[in-house]
Amino acid sequence: MRPAPVLVFALQLAAQDFMQRGFIEMRLAGFPQAAVNDRGRLIASALLRYEATYKISSAWRLAGGVEARTDSHHQTQRVWSLSWWDRERQRPAFAVRRASLTYERPGVTLELGKQFIRWGKTDILNPTDRFAPRDFLAVVDNDFLAVTAARLALGAQNNTLELVFAPALTPSRVPLLTQRWAPLPTWVEVRERQPQYPPGGQFGARWNHVGRGWEASLSLYEGYNHLPLYEVRPVSAGLPVRIEARRFYPKLRMYGADAAVPLGPVTLKGEAALFRSPASQTDEYVLYVVQAERQAGEWLLVGGYAGQTITRAQGPPGFAPDRGLAKAFLGRAAYTIDANRSVAVEGAARQNGKGLWVKIEYSQALAAHWRATAAFTLIRGDQADFLGQYRRNSHFLLALRYSF
Amino acid sequence: MNSVGWLALLAALTAWSQDAREIVAEAQRRSRAASERYEGTLQVIDARGRITEKRWLYYRLGSHGDSKAVIRFTAPAEVKGVALLIINHPDRASDQWMWTPAIQRERRIALQDRSTRFFGTDFSFEDLEERDVNQYEYRLLGEETLAGALCWKIESRPRKTRASQYTHSLLWIRKDNYTFARIENYVRQELVRRAEYREVQNVQGIWTPRLIEMQDLRRQSRTLLRLEKLAYNLPMKESDFTLQALRREF
Repeated sequence: MRPAPVLVFALQLAAQDFMQRGFIEMRLAGFPQAAVNDRGRLIASALLRYEATYKISSAWRLAGGVEARTDSHHQTQRVWSLSWWDRERQRPAFAVRRASLTYERPGVTLELGKQFIRWGKTDILNPTDRFAPRDFLAVVDNDFLAVTAARLALGAQNNTLELVFAPALTPSRVPLLTQRWAPLPTWVEVRERQPQYPPGGQFGARWNHVGRGWEASLSLYEGYNHLPLYEVRPVSAGLPVRIEARRFYPKLRMYGADAAVPLGPVTLKGEAALFRSPASQTDEYVLYVVQAERQAGEWLLVGGYAGQTITRAQGPPGFAPDRGLAKAFLGRAAYTIDANRSVAVEGAARQNGKGLWVKIEYSQALAAHWRATAAFTLIRGDQADFLGQYRRNSHFLLALRYSF
Repeated sequence: MNSVGWLALLAALTAWSQDAREIVAEAQRRSRAASERYEGTLQVIDARGRITEKRWLYYRLGSHGDSKAVIRFTAPAEVKGVALLIINHPDRASDQWMWTPAIQRERRIALQDRSTRFFGTDFSFEDLEERDVNQYEYRLLGEETLAGALCWKIESRPRKTRASQYTHSLLWIRKDNYTFARIENYVRQELVRRAEYREVQNVQGIWTPRLIEMQDLRRQSRTLLRLEKLAYNLPMKESDFTLQALRREF
């Protein structure tokens, strides 16, 4: 029996308004060197991610995504619950990756819900990207987390004003204290207390101008740092030294700017942010990145420098990979071998030579849906350096992904 | 000679006397549409004969130098959602941004980067622009028959105001329906890309090639682009051709 033409037409329309995609990925990370606080050398993990968008009408659109994951090293919770806020210490086994409703009419876009908001123009390090917390459980192999927010974008193509309000902080996920990405000395035992999440919301505004070939933005952020500081309290003085630590997220105000200008053979990109805080225990500083970018033939080449100027130094210990990449030369080179294969090298080298991170990655599509990736990350440096402290965490990574 | 014969002779003489720019302008006029939409099926065939298949959706609002277009990949699954926004200008090169859902970022494709292949196909970013007749200077080189169709052979060179990766191009325009039959693109004296236009059909009054083969002669690879479900003059909104719109799917 043939389906009714009306039904076929309706199904075709629905298909045009509904888009979905996802993947299942199996990963194996191997660490040649043992860590003092972590005997695990091999970590296997699996991730299922599914995302869909549905156009309800010409003005309204729904977007959603969920994740399910597990691993062999207790980086993922063994709990049957669905996470929305991403505040768990470990990765949640089941999480809403994204869920938002968008309203659009000419010159106005309003998005409500859990969404990704990216600011800035540079690569590798974005000082102005304040609504983009990350999962830093494995510090150098990180992934973005969505934030729950209302985002209003006003204006046409050439001048856009973006206003963001997030009622609650989504913190970056920091390394687990019992694992190798928290390289604590053997004579210290840390007991972690419940983190102190800020009570208030966050506000951001960004004006973006698109000129003839160039672009520039100004941004303002008033809220909290998604990267924590630690309130540390000694419990006992004998060896091992026992301390209690509690994460807290200091107030932060950011004044930022970014620009991209084509200059003959390269595109020059810059991004800078001044961070101030009324909290007396927090550093104040300027973080900036200048980079040159060129795409030539099958090559994409990016090279630059990230710098930092501290205007007030009195911070307690914290976890700050953004500042940890400052005062360093950054680079990325990617080469597309053919339609299915590519190779990329990216890294950062501290200007004083005390820290180095280099990642080499080869990726190959095996069939219409499969892709295999092999990578090796080399980390070297001094214990006191942000990159150097992970010097026993050089590792290889094998990944097999089925996309649908 | 009867009147039909005289008219045919007159038409032929008129055609000969047309200058190259007028021919290209007429080709542009005949292909004008308020909007265009198609589903593109691409086969990328590398130097060793290996085939990779991709699909994209193409939307265009406006026409020839005053238009906006969005190309959004729908297959293979791993690149689903990757999109390119092209804002064509009548007097200069287009503005282009590529949206990569995996990192939730758009990246402006700088003018000097337009010679790069577009996402593993044999089309460069520049090849995806819509070229306005006034951005080039033309010279009629003669006539040639391609695949049984008599064509004008025209040389085009970008005017100084327009930056292009190509030093010059050779265009073959069919005399029967003013569609492009072939374009050869040169960097200095080296032929680097050749586009062949085939399976010409009349779609809503516009003669349109339904199959385009783009060859990259340096890489010895080629891409076959088949235009499916092609439709012109569909209602489209300006707001669907902005950076905000680029971001909203995935």
